[in-house]
Amino acid sequence: MAAVMVLLSSAAVWAQNPTASGVINGTLVNKDGITLLFNSDPQSVTLGGAGTSAASLDFGSISAFGPLAAGVTRPTVTATNYTVRSLFDIQVIQGGLTSTTYTLQAQLAAAAPTGLSYRVDAITLGTASQTLQTTATYGVDIQHSLDLVILKAAPGAGGPATGTPLTTTINFTATAN
Amino acid sequence: MKKFTLIAAAMMMMSAFAAAQVTSGGTLAVTATVNGTINLVFNSATGGVPLGNSGTNAASLAFGTVQAFGGTLATGVTRTVGTGNFTVSSPFNVNVAKANLTSANYTLKANLTTADTTNTWQVGGVTVASGAPATITGTGAFDSDNLFTLALTIPFSATGTSISNTINFTAQAN
Repeated sequence: MAAVMVLLSSAAVWAQNPTASGVINGTLVNKDGITLLFNSDPQSVTLGGAGTSAASLDFGSISAFGPLAAGVTRPTVTATNYTVRSLFDIQVIQGGLTSTTYTLQAQLAAAAPTGLSYRVDAITLGTASQTLQTTATYGVDIQHSLDLVILKAAPGAGGPATGTPLTTTINFTATAN
Repeated sequence: MKKFTLIAAAMMMMSAFAAAQVTSGGTLAVTATVNGTINLVFNSATGGVPLGNSGTNAASLAFGTVQAFGGTLATGVTRTVGTGNFTVSSPFNVNVAKANLTSANYTLKANLTTADTTNTWQVGGVTVASGAPATITGTGAFDSDNLFTLALTIPFSATGTSISNTINFTAQAN
């Protein structure tokens, strides 16, 4: 008899404050991974899209002998070519991995424009992947140099087109070791 | 048997996970606009006065102490004596480099920074004065030493004072 009384009492409460309940079955998958970011390097060209994985670096107007944009240097001028340089940083962040280092590789997305070649850390890039580092450290900005080597030849004679922006995309890949 | 199959499948999956590489990519778009340029430097010439700052575009040429007759001239200085004046001279080189230009040659002009009403200055046989630059050559060859002679003609009437001037050279791609 006592039990019946309790049930009746509960029914009265529900009638006054209708409620509903449900259950969500949430599943969390803790996926490990790494991410690569470009950062501007002090005293060098300020990157467009710094802090992201899709950045841009504009050398501006370059020449063998004329003035250069802020952050651009011209380390060499030889009889046949000259080099302009800017520094930039790459930071790779990892989560959920036991890996302590990563391998960095780079390649051009397409063939370089006539008369130009691209070097990262003194390694000339082509459309095939090149290894730049094999034991890079996570979580810190690592400085890299980007060299643009320009033939001094005239346009149409092996030299680059002049007076027009020339853009090339470099694809970087970091792989956890 | 069924249990063994499950264990084997699990081991194969674990192996596959272990072999998967963890990678991340990024793209850096690199842009540059190439401009054609030229650059003028002075180089010492064989047999001439060694230039100060040879190989740059701000050189100096010191004739040293000169006189019409007798005495000892500095190495590389040549003297000719005329009627009422004498001339000291020295060869030097102008080298104009070019990059990313289709131009085949250049025009070289020069003028004095400060007017000189007493002495006569010549470069490559062309008199150079203050004011409008004089054309030294209209077909200078790029990327090679082009030999010119700097000549300073001093009248006998000139007194023993120091003579100094700056010659401005301008090369323009044709």
